[in-house]
Amino acid sequence: MKILSKIIMVILNLAALPGIFILGLLIFTANANAELTAKANHDHIKIDFFYHGSTVSVRGTSDPGTDLIIKITSADGHESLKQKGKVGGLLWMNTGTLNFEHVPNIYSIHSTKKIQDILNQEEALKYVIGYPALENHVEIEPVENDSERDTWFKEFIRFKESSNLYTTSEGKISTTLKDGRQSYYILTTWPYQAPPGDYLATVYSVKDGKVIETAESKVKVEQVGIVSLLAGMAKNKGALYGLISILVALSAGFGVGLIFRKGGGAH
Amino acid sequence: MNYMYLYLPVALTSINIMIPVGLGLLVGLLSGLFGVGGGFLLTPLLIMFGIPSTVAAATDSNQIVAASTSGTYAHWKVGNVDFKMGLYLLIGGFIGGLGGVQLIKVLKATGNADFVIKMTYVLMLGIVGTYMLVESLNSVKKNKTAEVRTEKETALTRFLKTLPLQTHFEKSGVTHSLLLPVIFGGFVGVLAAIMGVGGGFLMVPVMVYILRMPMHVVVGTSLFQILFNCIEVTFLQAYTNHSVDFILAVLLLVGSTVGAQVGAVFGRKLKGEQLKIILAVIVLAVTVKIVFDLTLTPSLLLTHGGGH
Repeated sequence: MKILSKIIMVILNLAALPGIFILGLLIFTANANAELTAKANHDHIKIDFFYHGSTVSVRGTSDPGTDLIIKITSADGHESLKQKGKVGGLLWMNTGTLNFEHVPNIYSIHSTKKIQDILNQEEALKYVIGYPALENHVEIEPVENDSERDTWFKEFIRFKESSNLYTTSEGKISTTLKDGRQSYYILTTWPYQAPPGDYLATVYSVKDGKVIETAESKVKVEQVGIVSLLAGMAKNKGALYGLISILVALSAGFGVGLIFRKGGGAH
Repeated sequence: MNYMYLYLPVALTSINIMIPVGLGLLVGLLSGLFGVGGGFLLTPLLIMFGIPSTVAAATDSNQIVAASTSGTYAHWKVGNVDFKMGLYLLIGGFIGGLGGVQLIKVLKATGNADFVIKMTYVLMLGIVGTYMLVESLNSVKKNKTAEVRTEKETALTRFLKTLPLQTHFEKSGVTHSLLLPVIFGGFVGVLAAIMGVGGGFLMVPVMVYILRMPMHVVVGTSLFQILFNCIEVTFLQAYTNHSVDFILAVLLLVGSTVGAQVGAVFGRKLKGEQLKIILAVIVLAVTVKIVFDLTLTPSLLLTHGGGH
């Protein structure tokens, strides 16, 4: 087996993925001695007018006898969320703001087997694999104690899972042995709620509780066409955007009024 | 390609186009019928369908511009808009809105904003809904028995007549001090700014019960002043918060402009008292819904900031 060569392929699932095009692919291998390869079918997801989410498949080869963990995530960021609590023992209200630091906006973990069974705890913490490791990784302010911290972290996960931004699966990576190599493949749903940005799919090859190799593939999500034009205008030319919105609304209201008069519907 | 879904560039989410068009039709109908913007109904529904709360509120204002233009036009055609009264209400509303925004800042500084906002909302909706329901049911009964509808010379009306700047509002057939619509417009403006809503459901009862305007003129005049309020709010939201979603607004207004026309036509077939009863029931239903939201454990204990 050649040490440095990595086979990279792009699979276009256009039949299943309407409206989405692929421009190219960037694959990185973290370990020069790696036997592991990874490729994502989409490295460039375009958000156009008819975008309703997508799918991202990751495939590649690894050493036989290794387990695999695939993590799709965005860079760590900051999120401020309103927390709801009971006021006067009766009414649910916003009682404060919780700040979450070092949290990715997207966190999607897939593994061949249960993570606790194939990866030891230190390794999980080191690579931030799995919710317990993520909990250890994030900072939550303000919380009084660890149990409160744990409660709000779990609420955070529920919040993220409710919009499909955080997902986990076990055993959904399919593996086959061919020519002494193990091929793997997984098809994941890419949520339309995921905002434009750069995302990273990292594949961990795991043996005896340890990560022995990693391979990465970038996924870029970008707005194009009218979507990009409108989003840019809303952000950068607020006054003009507001005036156009108002003018369109006024003329639509007036236009429909005229149509109804002409149609005689109003009389 | 699935043409049922469109991507919303500011809300950053995808939505089935039938949802905003259908919701637009519904609130447009309410607009044309009752002269309310329907924000108290539409904004929470949009949030329910995954639109971030700030975008939902801002886009709703943009949509109301279209619905109220359509509705004002329909009511104006049959002479049911009192532009003079609308203008004075607008002046008051504008001043009140400025005051309300300052009040919110003070409340936020004390940390009690959310509680005060929610309580104001529930109390206002509850009081207005109950009063309208009881009053209009009573007058329906009275009309059936004796057709008595006397202008009661209460202490309040006597006092109102002593105010300066008395003027006749021809369209509404009432004589009031100019100060009256300005003051009560201002009062609604303060409350609307606190609650983050247009305030149509407050303005309608003010016009009916305090300004004593006929219900059909109330609806048209309310839409007229809502139109100008929402133009202002849309611009400010787009300019300062960048939270107006143009695509979502267009989808909503496709439904709401048509709904407003249908509502205006349908409203003419109903009596003023019937309109008041239906509006009162809707307002009370929303009150009950908010009370449930406040008392039942929410499914998620964390939410995006910005909304109420």
